[in-house]
Amino acid sequence: MPESWIILQPIIILFTGALLTPLIEYFGRALKFEKVRDAFAVIIFGLSLYSLLGIYEEVQRQGQLTYFLSPYEPKMGGVSFFVDQFSVFMALLFCLLGLFVSIYSVKYMEDDTGLDKYYSLLMVLVAGLVGISFAGDLFNLFIFWEAMSLSSYALVAFRKYRWEPIEASFKYLVMSTIGSLTALYAMSILYGLTGTLNISQLAAIIPTLKIPLQILYLIIVAIIAGFGVTASIVPFHFWLPDAHPAAPSGISAMLSGVVIKAGVYVIARILFTIFDPIAFDFGTTLVIFGIITLSVANFMALLQRDIKRLLAFSSIVNIGYIVFGFGIGAYALNIYGAAGYSIATLATMGAIFHIFNHAIGKGLLFLGAGCFIHEAGTRDLVDLEGAGKKMPWTGTSFSLGLLTLAGVPPLSGFWSKLFIILAGFTVPGNTFMVVTTSLVVLNAIFAATYYLWLMQRLMLRAPKPKVERAHEVPILMVLPVVILGLITVILGLWPFEIMGFAEVATKSLLGLIGG
Amino acid sequence: MSTPDFTLYAITAIFLYIIGLYGIVVRRNMIRTIIGLEIVTAGVNLNFLVFTILDGDLLPLAQYFVAISIVIGAAVASLALMITIQAYRHYGSIDLKKTSRLRW
Repeated sequence: MPESWIILQPIIILFTGALLTPLIEYFGRALKFEKVRDAFAVIIFGLSLYSLLGIYEEVQRQGQLTYFLSPYEPKMGGVSFFVDQFSVFMALLFCLLGLFVSIYSVKYMEDDTGLDKYYSLLMVLVAGLVGISFAGDLFNLFIFWEAMSLSSYALVAFRKYRWEPIEASFKYLVMSTIGSLTALYAMSILYGLTGTLNISQLAAIIPTLKIPLQILYLIIVAIIAGFGVTASIVPFHFWLPDAHPAAPSGISAMLSGVVIKAGVYVIARILFTIFDPIAFDFGTTLVIFGIITLSVANFMALLQRDIKRLLAFSSIVNIGYIVFGFGIGAYALNIYGAAGYSIATLATMGAIFHIFNHAIGKGLLFLGAGCFIHEAGTRDLVDLEGAGKKMPWTGTSFSLGLLTLAGVPPLSGFWSKLFIILAGFTVPGNTFMVVTTSLVVLNAIFAATYYLWLMQRLMLRAPKPKVERAHEVPILMVLPVVILGLITVILGLWPFEIMGFAEVATKSLLGLIGG
Repeated sequence: MSTPDFTLYAITAIFLYIIGLYGIVVRRNMIRTIIGLEIVTAGVNLNFLVFTILDGDLLPLAQYFVAISIVIGAAVASLALMITIQAYRHYGSIDLKKTSRLRW
């Protein structure tokens, strides 16, 4: 067995855990110790994170790892796994948030039934996410994609005794399935043109094809639209503001923190690797989508009274920043060729770093909002006023989360936005870049105002009657929130390590282009 | 063996895709929406097979792909039907116009 089979370790651990959880639940019931399944889930997430650290070290040493499942020939583009710095970066992020959410769920989901299924689905969700980031061919990616999507539909509808999760989940299922089928349609055309779905082989074959460019652009559009549904780029975002608030708070954190990032990851991975950005102009499309996403979602966020709905719209805003960052990178490469490599690196690094910051920040905010809802029993912002005063630990961490997403300087969210905006302003003569980046700056200021307004309502106003009797949540719930808050502060003051990681991730994504 | 003319199949695949999409957009019945999804799945699977016929031979992996894709489609449909049953328990109806309380 080749050494690089360690790639499969986290995926195997998570799937095995998902299969074993109902069994553990059964024994736990027999022994009258039901909490054992929660402990088991936390251990499984810890183990997968540990095995990912092993993969991380291996990737640091070798640059990249590939692994073929043996019965299939690599030549045909069979089942293959490919891991580079960018994949490991994403996978670590997915597992880290999975661990926090599983710790948080121990107390938060205490009153629900069917928790073995909850943890099983959560493990399949994270296994799917890790599989997506490790997939080396498009069909393999599609299978993990569906594993992730199916478990997230089921998790959104987890509290099926209420009407809202049912409707939201149905809407999410229909829209997201159309999206993934559109992407599969694009894959089928790619397979027909090239005879392979292996990502690195596709990258080698595409430039040699002698077919009209329109067909290739059709594929690019289908991939952006297809995966853009899950990434919630604006014309395809309608499911998100319903599905994310309807899910239990831990799952909202997973969905907003990492699942939509998987969509962005797949778009970036496929477009940058398979279609050379110097030859194909998809940067302009991504920039325009980014701007539309930012502006529409910012406007919609202002109109919300439901705290989780507001946070859901803010997730769409942040997807706008990330897509814009990737777009500027691709645009610079397309316009300036290899000379645009430094701009592209800066913008893409900002986008990748922002993926990290938003996952941590939005995970924190949804978990914190869950704490408030747990105590006050309402999601209405008017009723939640002053809740932060009654719950100082949650309130302080929640404010840190809001400040990092607002891009206040000492926190980590500031750095990623700075990189994206700096990259946009590098070439003063390029009107398109300057105008779009100015729009992003305006939107960032606009967003900062409502984050601060939300913070002022929760932290500074006099407590409303519904939160009068609220007090700090149990330690297992507040611990993940506080740790996430600390991460934003520490990485804000000392961002160099994570920036270095984001930079090598960027280089491995853009690797073939400028070297 | 001569290469069969598969343009017709490709057009059929696109038509299936569009018909399914039309069904999802226009019909407000949850079961019909699910049927629409299945028609889209069928169109995409057909397209996968059609585009992989080269010189009269089917590329072997395409068959695996389509088989797995059908299984995934079945999983999606069963989950969607589960949600439909729950919706019926809540509202006594599977009409999306009646059930829809969310702001779209």
